[in-house]
Amino acid sequence: MKTIFRLIQIVTLVVFTTIYIRAQGPPIFSDSPLLLGLDGGGIRTFGKYISTEAGQTYIQPLVVPFNITTDFQIGGIQPYVFQSPANGETQSGFGNFTLFGKYSIIQIDGKAKTFRALLKYTQTFTTGASNVSVDASASQLAIVTGYITIKYGIYGTVGYTFVSNNSPDNLIYNFAFGYPLLPQKYPPFQLNLFLELNGSHTFDVNKHLLFISPGLQLITSSVFLIESGVQIPVIDDRNTTGFAFTLGIRYLFF
Amino acid sequence: MKNIIKIFVVLLLFGVSTSLAQTNEIKVRVDGLSCPFCAYGLEKKLNELEGVENININLEEGLVTLQVKDSVKISEEDIETKIEDAGFTPGEIVYSKKDEQPGKND
Repeated sequence: MKTIFRLIQIVTLVVFTTIYIRAQGPPIFSDSPLLLGLDGGGIRTFGKYISTEAGQTYIQPLVVPFNITTDFQIGGIQPYVFQSPANGETQSGFGNFTLFGKYSIIQIDGKAKTFRALLKYTQTFTTGASNVSVDASASQLAIVTGYITIKYGIYGTVGYTFVSNNSPDNLIYNFAFGYPLLPQKYPPFQLNLFLELNGSHTFDVNKHLLFISPGLQLITSSVFLIESGVQIPVIDDRNTTGFAFTLGIRYLFF
Repeated sequence: MKNIIKIFVVLLLFGVSTSLAQTNEIKVRVDGLSCPFCAYGLEKKLNELEGVENININLEEGLVTLQVKDSVKISEEDIETKIEDAGFTPGEIVYSKKDEQPGKND
């Protein structure tokens, strides 16, 4: 039973340190280099259902970013986790809290297009309930880039995660391509199609994990969007990871 | 009868003054406007400028048009600061007068 919990916890940690650490803006599973300026406050929440051979996990994080300056943003992520092991009772509780900071290092703007890059640091603390959280803190340093035009968006992230408690470190990489299915206008009514690759390599145990992640995003107003996507593992060295389904919203408040 | 004539004259003058009223129109090139969801912060920032009555954002052209009360002057510096605060790059700014009557742009 302990092993099953450990497996679920490792999957949860990898998911959080590789995929969830983002604050605002498209795409769905990867990070965006766009900081929305000093008025770019927003909240984001989504439900993520993960199915593995060890059981099912449902995670509901709340993401709150805050812009210190136009180029510097901090934020926090507090998840609530439900875990149902294959042979055990469902448990739930708050997961580990994560703080993140983003600092814009490149901004090259043109007519209806932009290239941006930022450095992102995230720190996950062992504040979560022991039955649903990993007993290890994690620090991640990543570079997030994106070339975004009104016709399409290309996003990329590479990061390294240092994990405490003798747990193995990991390298993460994300690539996303976004394509708007409706004409881009403002105020927006948009339907965006995303195809993403979300990968990670865990050292020591040499576990490689790669998801292909299609998703749809519906923007119904200037401040609200709803999005959904599925992550299908295409490389899974240990066959311990199942698919993950996400349904979420983002709301900008000022 | 006198009162009726007075009311008529007042209404006539009000109508003439309304038809001749003008607003300032400011067209601003904004670079980096690449997604509609990102433009809300820009709209909010520009709305903080005193006298702004209406904002139109054209993403394809990277053009923002401000309708500003005739009595209010907004400096280029103020506009540029707001755009930069919103996370975008300001470009050329063009001021013009626009009649409130449709189809009578200067």
